[in-house]
Amino acid sequence: MRIEDTEKLISQGIARVMDEGAGYCDARFYSEDGSETIALIDGNLEENTASYESGLGVRVLHGGSWGFAATSRAEDVKETFNRALTNAKTASMLVNIPLDMGRMPGIKGKYSSPVGIDPFEVPLKEKLAFLEELDSNLQADFIQRRIAYIYLQRMKNWFWNSEGSFIERNLTNCFAEARIMALDLDSQMQIRSKSLHTPGSGTRGWEMVTNPGLWSAKTETIKEELAQLLKAPEIEYGKRSVILLPGQGFLQVHETIGHPLELDRILGYELSYAGGSFVTLDSIGELRYGSNKLNASAYGSIENSPGSFGYDDEGTPERDYLLIDRGILVNCLTSRAMISEANQTAGKTIFDQSGGASRSTAFYKAPIDRMTNVNILPGEDGSLTDIIAQTEEGILLDNPRSWSIGSNREHFHFGCEIAWEISSGKLTRVLKNPTYQGHTLEFYANLSAVGDESTWVVKQVPNCGKGEPNQIMEIGHGVPVMRFDDVITGERS
Amino acid sequence: MIDEKIRDAIIQVRDRAKSKNINAFFTMHREKSHLLRIGNNAVSLNTSTDLTRLDVEVIDGHRKGSYSVMTDISSPDVVENALQTAVEKASVATPKEYKPLELIVEKEIKGMEQYDPALEELDPMVKTETYRKIIDETGKDYNYSGSWNSGSTEILLACTANKNIAWRKGTDQQFSCVLKDPVEKWELATFQTGWQAGEVTAKNAAADFKHILPVYHEPGFKVEPGEYTVVFGSQALADILRMLMWTGLNGKTYEEKMGWTSGKSIGDQILSEKVTIVDDPSNMNTFGFSFDMKGLARGFFPFVEEGKMTNLFYDIDTAGKYNRKPTPHNDSASLVMKHGDGPESPLEAVRNMGRVLFIPALHYVHIPNPSKGLFTGSSRFSAVLLENGEMRAPIFSSRVTDTFQNVFGNVELISSNDVSVNSSSSYDRRMPEATSVPSYMVSRGVKITDSADSF
Ligand SMILES: [Zn+2]
Repeated sequence: MRIEDTEKLISQGIARVMDEGAGYCDARFYSEDGSETIALIDGNLEENTASYESGLGVRVLHGGSWGFAATSRAEDVKETFNRALTNAKTASMLVNIPLDMGRMPGIKGKYSSPVGIDPFEVPLKEKLAFLEELDSNLQADFIQRRIAYIYLQRMKNWFWNSEGSFIERNLTNCFAEARIMALDLDSQMQIRSKSLHTPGSGTRGWEMVTNPGLWSAKTETIKEELAQLLKAPEIEYGKRSVILLPGQGFLQVHETIGHPLELDRILGYELSYAGGSFVTLDSIGELRYGSNKLNASAYGSIENSPGSFGYDDEGTPERDYLLIDRGILVNCLTSRAMISEANQTAGKTIFDQSGGASRSTAFYKAPIDRMTNVNILPGEDGSLTDIIAQTEEGILLDNPRSWSIGSNREHFHFGCEIAWEISSGKLTRVLKNPTYQGHTLEFYANLSAVGDESTWVVKQVPNCGKGEPNQIMEIGHGVPVMRFDDVITGERS
Repeated sequence: MIDEKIRDAIIQVRDRAKSKNINAFFTMHREKSHLLRIGNNAVSLNTSTDLTRLDVEVIDGHRKGSYSVMTDISSPDVVENALQTAVEKASVATPKEYKPLELIVEKEIKGMEQYDPALEELDPMVKTETYRKIIDETGKDYNYSGSWNSGSTEILLACTANKNIAWRKGTDQQFSCVLKDPVEKWELATFQTGWQAGEVTAKNAAADFKHILPVYHEPGFKVEPGEYTVVFGSQALADILRMLMWTGLNGKTYEEKMGWTSGKSIGDQILSEKVTIVDDPSNMNTFGFSFDMKGLARGFFPFVEEGKMTNLFYDIDTAGKYNRKPTPHNDSASLVMKHGDGPESPLEAVRNMGRVLFIPALHYVHIPNPSKGLFTGSSRFSAVLLENGEMRAPIFSSRVTDTFQNVFGNVELISSNDVSVNSSSSYDRRMPEATSVPSYMVSRGVKITDSADSF
């Protein structure tokens, strides 16, 4: 579908549904939503695929309820507006609190991800040559499996709403990972991996993928660590301090701060699928989420992150605000419709403006409350070396292998690739099959050290799943090194 | 019923590709999906989507490239463009060490066995009214949410290796309703599935809730970590079963020595002799496809017979790489766990077993260690403490962390009653999948490793 062919029809469609009594309408047209995946597995090019999607999604609020419709067929533009309106009218037959988007002035805007070299303009041959060199660096006799992987996204879309907003967005994302595996002495497969992170600033084109310091120069390190894992003893069950490197810390934050603070989840709109949240509307401004060292933010405009996108899918510009201030919960991840409902439910203004977190993964999915970049702010406990030196008995953990979280995000269980034992302030040996579990509030109450700027990186997440139908979203997490005390680690024998 | 314009465009491009000796495989996927979501006793989202996709895979000797488009594909030009993009990708690709297996549509197949036009065009009002009835019948004091996804999926496969077309159009639906107590925060859930309009009823949903509601007014029970006899309900069973299959009976995992059956051989006892697991597209509790997504003809296929490992499933790429025969399970499954001889009621089944945990569903199952077969997940929805078959108390959110070998090894009793559990993922394209499992399974010595003080 082409913008030239559809623009006028879309404006007419919005005007028509508003004439028919809709309270709000928006439309998103994607002229291109493209991706490219290249994966070398044991040196064989096992993934060499690209995709292209194009179409229109229309959302109508009528009688306090949402209707949504989408099509990939150019001839169906008018019909798609009709279906969205009809769907909203049907939905309004069963309404509890009529939804309201509030009133906002129309916004005209344009956002493009900062890109040096457009990864889609780089010839496939050149991308393959880069990955092949990386793969050859991953080789060693003891390694049984090597994966070198690049996933690229490019999206060009336009947003219109009934308030007169018109926003153009061009988004580019690059994800990459190197992973090696080998069997240990007990015939269990051990894994070590390194994924592409961003420093937070700079551009996010192909130049980021080929920047050695961001991932590809770490091949020797992960080979050495995997070799140590193969002969390492298994972690023993017990309570101790855990220090999370950003490679694991990002997922801890994602699952136990990001998801529980999504306002639609708090209000119960994800109950039948992803689950609820232990956070309630009464918690905001009151709940002690963690120790004084815990400061978390939602920062939609980190210069270089997949969680930065200029304007959300309701046309709200990106924002930067605190979620947790010195341990106290102060805000959530919000969209216009959800703050309206939350304020109505609470009978007072809890949220004075949208957090700009309404996002959709494709033209054919309706936006829901998502993470943008959910970050832990750097602390004052020095470098990683400093934090290890101040740790009596503990383990240092990196990279997730498994994650399972309670439905209200009140408790969790994580498995990691590798642990280093810490005894009397020194790293002593590598331990394999590390797992840890805990209860969210108790865990963050025991946050005892937060690393400084030198430990802070933005981890990229290409695969956060939420919603029905499920939407796989790209987001970012800027996290420092963090230490938590009295954590249950390992499994009972 | 076949969309002739799209079919003809694909055939035209296929024939042209064949004349140029291009080795290509075409997949057309069209979905008409409707989803109604309920949140806080109201419709929170009512969506309709009409999407058409085309995937083209090209094999050029040891090289492979593929391309997917979602746009209007009724013109041969669009199909030709997609083909040329895949050809271009294959031509630049680095050759693999092994020769990828050719993609062949094995049989000419046209199937509409599970297609109901009434479900395809189901009026969203029917869904709204069903939820309203459930709320009216069960009680307005609770908070209700849920989703009801229905629609049709049309798939057409073609290849340059022959003239066969495999085509199927079917309908499916997946229904859930969650009841939450606004004060105590506990949650009950009910699920329904099927492929015909009228199969999902408010009466069944309300009956499920009414059966378990009384015990949920008792104080919650905290399960201390330890070993318990557990009755897994059908949702939990289907969830664990799929993970068990993925990490144990998957040829890819096996060849790469990643899973818990690594080191075992065909014929080895890997689970309790009470456990038999097969793939059976003719089982009407599943959504039966007579071909898989790589064109292989499907039929009855055993994986585990009386606890013995009988077969592994091999996707086409793994089969090519390890020189095995591919099995017809590429993105298509009709998994069936055979029933046992237990009574219909799980309460009856554990009447003489003392204290037992009834866990109907698990939340967020993951695998900390596939080599050991270790999985973990937490109880959610309608979990109850039973004492000699009597429902005693609702249980707080409790974590099961145990191995497949233990849970499916120490099996006490399996229900004689089969149920269908809808296991369709809505992650990507619409692809109906359901698993047939016994309505419950009782296992001894199941490890509970953590529990909360809340539901
Ligand atoms: Zn997520």
